[in-house]
Amino acid sequence: MRDLAERALDTAAARGARYADCRVGVRTSETVTVKNGEVAGVSRHESEGIGIRVVVDDAWGFAATGRMDGASIDETVARAVRIARASARVRRQPVRLAPAPAVTGNYVTPHTIDPLRVPVEEKIALLLATDAAIGRVPGITVRTSDTEAVRETTFFASSEGSRITQTIVEAGAGFDCVATSASEVQVRSFPNSFGRQQYAAGWEAVLGMDLPGNGERIAEEAVALLTAEPCPEGTMTLILDGAQTALQVHESCGHPTELDRVLGTEAAYAGTSFLMPDMRGTFRYGSDEVTITADATSERGLGTFGWDDEGVAAQRTVLVDKGLFTEYMTSRETAATFDGTSNGTMRAFGWDRIPLIRMTNVNLEPGTSSLEEMIATTERGVYLMTNRSWSIDDRRLNFQFGTQIGWEVIDGKLGRMIRNPLYSGSTPEFWGSCDAVANEAEWQMWGVVNCGKGQPTQLMHVGHGAAPARFQNVKVRPA
Amino acid sequence: MSLSDLHDIASKVLERVPHGEGEVIVDDRDKSLTRFADNGIHQNVADNTTTLRLRIVHDGRVGIATVAGNVWDKLDDLVAAAERARSVSPAGEVDALPDPGPETPFPAAFASATATASPELRADAVAVITGAAEKAGLRAYGALDTGVSRLVIHNSRGLRREAESTRSGLVAVCRGDQGGGYAERSDVNVTEIDAAALASEVVDTCKRNQNAVPIEPGDYEVVLSSYAVTEMLQHLSWMGFSGLSVEEERSFMRPGEKLMSDLITIYDDPAEREGAPYPFDAEGNIASRVVLVDKGVCRDVVHDSASARRAGIPSTGHALPMPNTDGGYTAHLAMAPGDQSIDELISGVKDGLYVTRFWYVRDVHPLKTMITGMTREGTFHIRNGKLCEAVKDLRFTQSIVDALAGTLGVSRERLVSIPEWSPGWDDAVIAPAVRLRSFTFSS
Repeated sequence: MRDLAERALDTAAARGARYADCRVGVRTSETVTVKNGEVAGVSRHESEGIGIRVVVDDAWGFAATGRMDGASIDETVARAVRIARASARVRRQPVRLAPAPAVTGNYVTPHTIDPLRVPVEEKIALLLATDAAIGRVPGITVRTSDTEAVRETTFFASSEGSRITQTIVEAGAGFDCVATSASEVQVRSFPNSFGRQQYAAGWEAVLGMDLPGNGERIAEEAVALLTAEPCPEGTMTLILDGAQTALQVHESCGHPTELDRVLGTEAAYAGTSFLMPDMRGTFRYGSDEVTITADATSERGLGTFGWDDEGVAAQRTVLVDKGLFTEYMTSRETAATFDGTSNGTMRAFGWDRIPLIRMTNVNLEPGTSSLEEMIATTERGVYLMTNRSWSIDDRRLNFQFGTQIGWEVIDGKLGRMIRNPLYSGSTPEFWGSCDAVANEAEWQMWGVVNCGKGQPTQLMHVGHGAAPARFQNVKVRPA
Repeated sequence: MSLSDLHDIASKVLERVPHGEGEVIVDDRDKSLTRFADNGIHQNVADNTTTLRLRIVHDGRVGIATVAGNVWDKLDDLVAAAERARSVSPAGEVDALPDPGPETPFPAAFASATATASPELRADAVAVITGAAEKAGLRAYGALDTGVSRLVIHNSRGLRREAESTRSGLVAVCRGDQGGGYAERSDVNVTEIDAAALASEVVDTCKRNQNAVPIEPGDYEVVLSSYAVTEMLQHLSWMGFSGLSVEEERSFMRPGEKLMSDLITIYDDPAEREGAPYPFDAEGNIASRVVLVDKGVCRDVVHDSASARRAGIPSTGHALPMPNTDGGYTAHLAMAPGDQSIDELISGVKDGLYVTRFWYVRDVHPLKTMITGMTREGTFHIRNGKLCEAVKDLRFTQSIVDALAGTLGVSRERLVSIPEWSPGWDDAVIAPAVRLRSFTFSS
């Protein structure tokens, strides 16, 4: 790895690059899927290659290859340099990078059991036991469960002297069960929807989920939803579970605090942001209950690492402090527009993609309440769990989310189960109405493994620490 | 790499399969993308990636492994990983690999101009867009991508497929101080994309979409552009055009039942020359034309080998790479054209809305085909048959089937979209504009 990286940097300099960095990466993943009592897939994927980023003629170029020999590296550097020179033909302003110290270091995700060394037989047994538990409930038409294990080792080298080796380890698992009737399709998932719950951790994280122990309960909910009452319609108190709160943070705080969106570089695809630079330090994003951080040091978070993909150290940044919007997530290039320094959020999904500003672990800090207390002090409202659909405008203001399941809350008690709930709102009003966040005992890390951004699209893994939270005067309706 | 190189690698992999049957896909892609923002190129990338995918079927067990990037000295590792996965899987009912079948009936869509497109060509095309925006006092954002894929499939039953295909796409957003515009074009041949025409369209939409006024949410008659219809078709497909979704009772498709207007015919045609023809699927089966909705009546759905076997019919040739628990996929989706121009569609509307584009569309209730999303970069009031003032973007929450049941017109003109990112197999969607009696905007 090291030799090829040094060769790439030397070649880039010789070809006129005033800055260059490269990442040599090997990513290995293994997925096991069980569907309706049978093993639907056991697959192992390995990807190895090098990506080289250069600044030539004050413009960016990037090229990547899986051919790991000297001649191919030279060719790929030449390609990156040619691309940069082409960029310079339609350059808006010269590339300027905020200063960052040269770093030498090594980082490995803390883990106890390497998830890629766990025998596949053990993973299959876990999923078949889960499947059997779900299958004990009559009325379930489709049962799907899976596990994923990831290990990615990257060597980063820059022309400014940084040399960093990192190994990120991830383990995840989850299941979905589907119940159908003539007019309804209801899905329940555990621990999270849209794939699975995943951590930057070892296999011990999966063992802690107790998938089989939750199979029957979740399946019973799916069947019960077929005949549950539709979600009531109106403006009312909304209580969200931790997983849905995490997604709400992701969409309505994480994305709008990415500085590249604010500066317009994602305008044609992912969108922009309503949080303009002159709002920093003055704009009331939410209530006093709302403190949100981007923390690349959070335990078990999918956005936890030693250094970002520009070699900037992992750190904790307060984005929203007791409701006040205070800071963005930045890169070296975007930070330079404010004459600041990067807070280390540049991440690439693999050696063949450029780093972009990505969420690390964007966390809603724990409050002082509890789910029990929130319910007990609610006169009329709904308690909603587990995301089913999500949509938000390109500035991250107007949103509508749906969850898989909910319950009415009446006079301080959980009432009937409700199906097809939707809620909608506008970001600052919504977070401004947050009057309670559960405490540390109910706070946990959630993983999002499908965060799309950039062209070509990169599906990044990001983390969100969150606990149940309560909001007032929210529009709620059935789908 | 040449197709011959890929065949050579595929043969070497198959030779190493220790027993049973093997299927290997060798996919070599070279893709480039030039991205621009605020009238300048800010990201400009290229990558060349080779991927090998091996499926071993033996003794009622299946194992799959893939390697990407540096594959050349990993053939033994690939076979060992797939065999290891196979050997630990419990025995069950597995699908045999496809027989060789007929000859490939037509070549994949390929243009050498795209395969050899240079970064200078892309930069010069971008300059046309940014130049037009600057001249109009606007800011342009977007991307131009070009790519070539060479792919071969071999299996132990003697199946041999090869395809060399290209794609290119230009997307542009223009922004003024009080609103934006959008336009996109895709083509197999990058030199067929008229950057000047696209620049004219996006600048014009942007100029008209300034100082949008609020409008009350509610039910409106609408004309949806091809961009919006493309998105609706994709969601319709994900929600119910696969045989597996019908088998699992989560599809809206009820064969023989009329759910939409007579004006609506939707089909999947891998040979359609207007799109991006591609002759076979990820199992090497020849992809056939499937009529999904015929004059409003639900007809057939698409299958891979597994769902076809359970349905007791041959595969339609719509498999995704294994392992895949989602079933067949409509990679070449199209809505049949109508007989009106877009201007004629608009001229028929007394009081309604024209929607340029949908954004962040998500499925809310798949069985009802209910989706939600926002309008973006060009929503206009139509009064007495004419496009009038821009209105602020709205959220819609609407059943697609219900909307298409009220179709009042379909345009002759259709646009091809070959998405830069797609879950499928060299996807293309061909969509006209439509006029719908009612569409629900919820906020």
